Amino acid sequence: MSAQTAGPETLGSLSTEPDPQDPTSQQAKEIAGKSPMRIALGRLARDKIAVVCALVVLFFIICAVFAGPISSLFGVSLDTPLASERVDGLNNGLPKPEMGPPNGPFTWEHPMGVAPRTGQDNLAYWLHGCRVSLLIATVAAVFASVVGVVVGLLSGFLGGAVDKVLSFFIDMFLTIPFLLAALTLAPILNERFNTSDNYGTIQKISLICVLALFGWMGTARLIRGEVLSLREREFVQAARVMGMPTRRILFKELLPNLAAPIIISISLMLPAFVALEAGLAFLGIGVTDGVSWGQMILDAASPVYFRDYPQYLWQPMVGVVALVLSLNLLGDAIRDALDPKTRR
Amino acid sequence: MKRNKPLALVAGAALLTLAACGGGSSDDGGNGGEGTEREFGEQGGGTKDAERQGPAPEIEGASTGGTITVYLPGDPGPDTLDPTGGWSVTGNSIQQALTSRSLTQYARDENGQPVLVPDLATDLGTPNEDYTEWTFTIRDDATWEDGKPVTAEEVAFGICRSLDSEAFPSGPGTEYSKHYFAGAEEYEGPYTGKDPNCEKWDGVTVDGQDITIKMSTPFPDMDYWGAFMAMGPAPLGNASKPPNYGQKPLANGPYKIESYKPNEELVLVKNDQWSADSDPARHQYADGFVFKFNQDQAKVDEIMLSDNSDSQTAVATSLGSGNYNDANSQLGERLVQQTSQCVSTLTPDYEKIDDINVRKALAYAYPYEDAWIAGGEVPGVTRIPANSVMPPGMAGKRDFQVDGEQITYDPEKAKELLTEAGYGDKPYPITMVYYEVDPLAVDVQDQVTKGFEAAGFSVKAIPVQESPYNVFFDPDSKVNKQLNLRLVNWCSDWPSGSTMIPALLKTGAVYNTAGFSEPEIDEEMDAISTLPLEEQPDAWGALDEKIMTEYFPIIPTAFRNDLFVFGSKIGNPTGDGSIGAPNYKDLYVMQ
Amino acid sequence: MFAYVVKRLISGVLVVTLVSMAIFLLFWYGPSSPAQPICDRETSNRCGNKIEIYEKTLGYNNPVHEEYAKFVKGVFVGRTLTIASNDYECSAPCLGVSFRTKEPVKEELLSRVPATFSVAIGGAFLYLLFGIPIGVAAARRRGSVADKALVSSFLFISSIPYYLFALLTWLYLTVTFEIPLFSNTGYFSPITEGPWAWFSGLFLAWVALGIFGCTQYTRFTRGAMVEALSEDYIRTAKAKGLPSRTIVYKHGLRAALVPVVTIFGIDFGTLLAGTIFTERIFEIQGIGWWSLQAVQGMDLPVVQATAIFSAVILIISNLLVDIVYSVLDPRVRLS
Repeated sequence: MSAQTAGPETLGSLSTEPDPQDPTSQQAKEIAGKSPMRIALGRLARDKIAVVCALVVLFFIICAVFAGPISSLFGVSLDTPLASERVDGLNNGLPKPEMGPPNGPFTWEHPMGVAPRTGQDNLAYWLHGCRVSLLIATVAAVFASVVGVVVGLLSGFLGGAVDKVLSFFIDMFLTIPFLLAALTLAPILNERFNTSDNYGTIQKISLICVLALFGWMGTARLIRGEVLSLREREFVQAARVMGMPTRRILFKELLPNLAAPIIISISLMLPAFVALEAGLAFLGIGVTDGVSWGQMILDAASPVYFRDYPQYLWQPMVGVVALVLSLNLLGDAIRDALDPKTRR
Repeated sequence: MKRNKPLALVAGAALLTLAACGGGSSDDGGNGGEGTEREFGEQGGGTKDAERQGPAPEIEGASTGGTITVYLPGDPGPDTLDPTGGWSVTGNSIQQALTSRSLTQYARDENGQPVLVPDLATDLGTPNEDYTEWTFTIRDDATWEDGKPVTAEEVAFGICRSLDSEAFPSGPGTEYSKHYFAGAEEYEGPYTGKDPNCEKWDGVTVDGQDITIKMSTPFPDMDYWGAFMAMGPAPLGNASKPPNYGQKPLANGPYKIESYKPNEELVLVKNDQWSADSDPARHQYADGFVFKFNQDQAKVDEIMLSDNSDSQTAVATSLGSGNYNDANSQLGERLVQQTSQCVSTLTPDYEKIDDINVRKALAYAYPYEDAWIAGGEVPGVTRIPANSVMPPGMAGKRDFQVDGEQITYDPEKAKELLTEAGYGDKPYPITMVYYEVDPLAVDVQDQVTKGFEAAGFSVKAIPVQESPYNVFFDPDSKVNKQLNLRLVNWCSDWPSGSTMIPALLKTGAVYNTAGFSEPEIDEEMDAISTLPLEEQPDAWGALDEKIMTEYFPIIPTAFRNDLFVFGSKIGNPTGDGSIGAPNYKDLYVMQ
Repeated sequence: MFAYVVKRLISGVLVVTLVSMAIFLLFWYGPSSPAQPICDRETSNRCGNKIEIYEKTLGYNNPVHEEYAKFVKGVFVGRTLTIASNDYECSAPCLGVSFRTKEPVKEELLSRVPATFSVAIGGAFLYLLFGIPIGVAAARRRGSVADKALVSSFLFISSIPYYLFALLTWLYLTVTFEIPLFSNTGYFSPITEGPWAWFSGLFLAWVALGIFGCTQYTRFTRGAMVEALSEDYIRTAKAKGLPSRTIVYKHGLRAALVPVVTIFGIDFGTLLAGTIFTERIFEIQGIGWWSLQAVQGMDLPVVQATAIFSAVILIISNLLVDIVYSVLDPRVRLS
């Protein structure tokens, strides 16, 4: 059963696989042909939407990598100020007029204003939130695709009982929504590690693990399908006849031909993971140390702040939406570019 | 008494409470914005009226009928309704006022002061001269919701239940009954001790309508302890066996339990068997009460401020700080500020920080107002500067200042004090914990760290994901061993210094997280409880001042206030000064 | 056909067993001591060495397979659970006793089911009601300006993470525009509190879920429809001169609905298993909101029970979808 889930709330199930593919399709043959990457890149460069999205993504990557230097360039930092210096405790904890909007004019000292109640600088938190988000999503996507590729390769190439068992596990993991898994694991991780010194790091690592653990199935399926068709091809047969060890066939012969599906699955996973990271933080079961878009959204979503200080909510929200949207569109474009069937 | 109101996450009682401690703002604070100047619903404390008899005087203009909805934002409510197990502001305030009677109770007098008056007993009890034996006469006209009379045996059995600290591990009996009642230490209780009729404990004896309780140590405050619902009746035998009884305990007050969904909703309806003549302080105006637990603060604020038909007959037990301005200007009389008889303190380790000047430097280094704001409090309204351990209005409380005037955030002064103490050349190291799960607690800690560092301290703040109390109470905890600064929030169980000072400052007391230990002070505390009753309040007040000026062992950072919002059709919008809750006993719906 | 269903049933039971085992083990070995949260709670954070009593009475000293067997037995015939010195009756199907309320988890779970199901059914109804017709219309006008505008705007909306969409819906409709009729969101029983309270409390949640789901189902339906309309038999039908209405609705839509119905089946199962974000944002007291609170309150039995419950619902819905699919599309059975 390989139906693709899509509805809201199901965003947890991470079904990142594209439309089910017929193993004997044209696609596999073409990709196995000559220099498909170059063709794909050429197509991408001509796709205006893809170029814009790539630039947006690049912008976020720069923000994430250089979060520190950019912050100091603007003269802002994650440091906590004394709250009463920046916010007015008797005016609902909103920023004082000299701190910029909503009560005063724009100021270069705090280009994005300061947070109500604590007076922390929004720009610095936004940049570092971007870093956390991209870091977690990227690492998790890499791990998930490694697991997916290995499982898919083994399952597709070995066939038989191995394939049956692995497919069973793929199906089983697919039935468990990611959100449910995260929700289940959260109190356990909390109970076990809450006294350790580097709980924050453990929290991020376990988040990555959970994302990877429930995100690999799409890749595994995709790869399995590809391998099923590839393994009947002449060059694989030849390698077999020559007595090449299975491991060598898998990694030297098959893997290079799987570059396209792997890139596709990573590009589909990234936006899902970014959205999930922020979503979990919003629910209070992901990153909880405050430097996270999801946590900023959670803090800003109270009606009082939203009414008087909507920018505070829009900043992290625009971050999440723009990043997820451009990653999604870019992923679609990459998929189109790599897939000759959908050439426009 | 613990507060479970701010319970955000995990089991800890005072998590947010811990987080949001603070005290002593720079001004006399308070009437923020354009609204009316708010009077504190303060408590005078210590007044008693042993003669008061039912029925309770009518509230002027009161009418009957209507249902009152009470929203309790961020408050999960009690875990159990068993009167013996209840030791939380929320549960006790509701049940003691409406469903579960005990030996004594509080009535609100015309000045808003709580007065201790009789309840199931006909007076406030008769002690012998050294307070080691108390006799209460149980009135014969009180009834259960099923119409049966409340008997002295049932009251005695209820008292006996409070000794079972395994069946009711978080009940107040673990603190008071166990400590004061004769033979209580050895007795395991009717359930754990397999003694379902409480025959093996002879600390309480019944003679006709009289019950006599024997004490192992003098207990002058037994009449106050009698106001806890744990000192009330329970049906004999299996009828009141925990845990099932906690789902639907038999009511004997003006209301009975219609339905109870823990963490969600408690519905009370009129108990037609209750007779007003038997009760000196309760009323039965509304047809019923609906308590909605675990509400979202923002949503409740929206409802209460909208004054729609839902909110006109509703009460909210707190107000989000972000809405204080609007509420203050809009609600007037209907926003009630009530002192909650609680104090937030910082407790420097008495052995590690043995120099009073360093402790005072800490007091000057604590950024009171900033910590309040970051913790979502309204400076001067929900938190006010504190000068000592005893909360304002407690009998015997003295209005003194350790350094002549209110200590405020003053990093320069803190540095001077540190230099004086010989630590001027390098930062004085402070190690403390904060509750990382709650974002507000993290923000408060950031402020505290910032303030301390500006004042010549260096701060190592260890994040913990369990209640900080868990760390403080675990002598083997590695984290605990490193700490030299802890904190405690404490609320009085009754308006006497005896529920504040010994609990926080006696050698070996559980909540004495400072580890303060001075034999001289311990002796004074013991001596006060043997003084004649009328001399005790002043003695506590004097001791409070003496401890603060001579030792300054703990740093009171704030007295805490609650804000209650009443709908426009709720009559007599007032707070209950004895417990920090709306005054449920006297509310009515305007018709 | 029959053999296929039996095979799927057996594998379904196997998955349920495996998942329940996995969850049980997770809660057994995961926490450093599974009894810690209840001990802290009951002793007001003065647990100390009382933890041993709790571990012993909760059975954490026994071998794990014995306790799992007891758990399974409890599900079928009920059991009595002991926590410290108190006994709690837990009738079948027993999923444990909440650490917080000491009530059998099952009863509270059942009381939460109507809220979640109301949200799921209402939302799903809305997005099917609008999603499929819009998708069909777009496919018929494929390539037109309207089609392109619709597809790209819907693509945009469905690229926004759902919870942000729902959050904005809530903030705008209740805070900014203050629609008073629907601002008091939550679940109200249609029986005791009246159908109007039920409707107005859930309305915004349905709207959010409905619009978001509609954008996705429009895209699905459109895609499936476009594919179906390019099939050979449609060309044949056209050549025969059938009216275009008949072609689109009788031949095209019927084929296009098969994949849509399948996707919907799985989606709907996931919704039934807990609409966590919707319930969190609109404050609806359903299963998702409850399990979130249990996580925050370290109420391990509740988290465990909701996890098992949701997993079972999902597995069953998957199973049903598979079976329905095999009925709709005979090719599946053959492969």
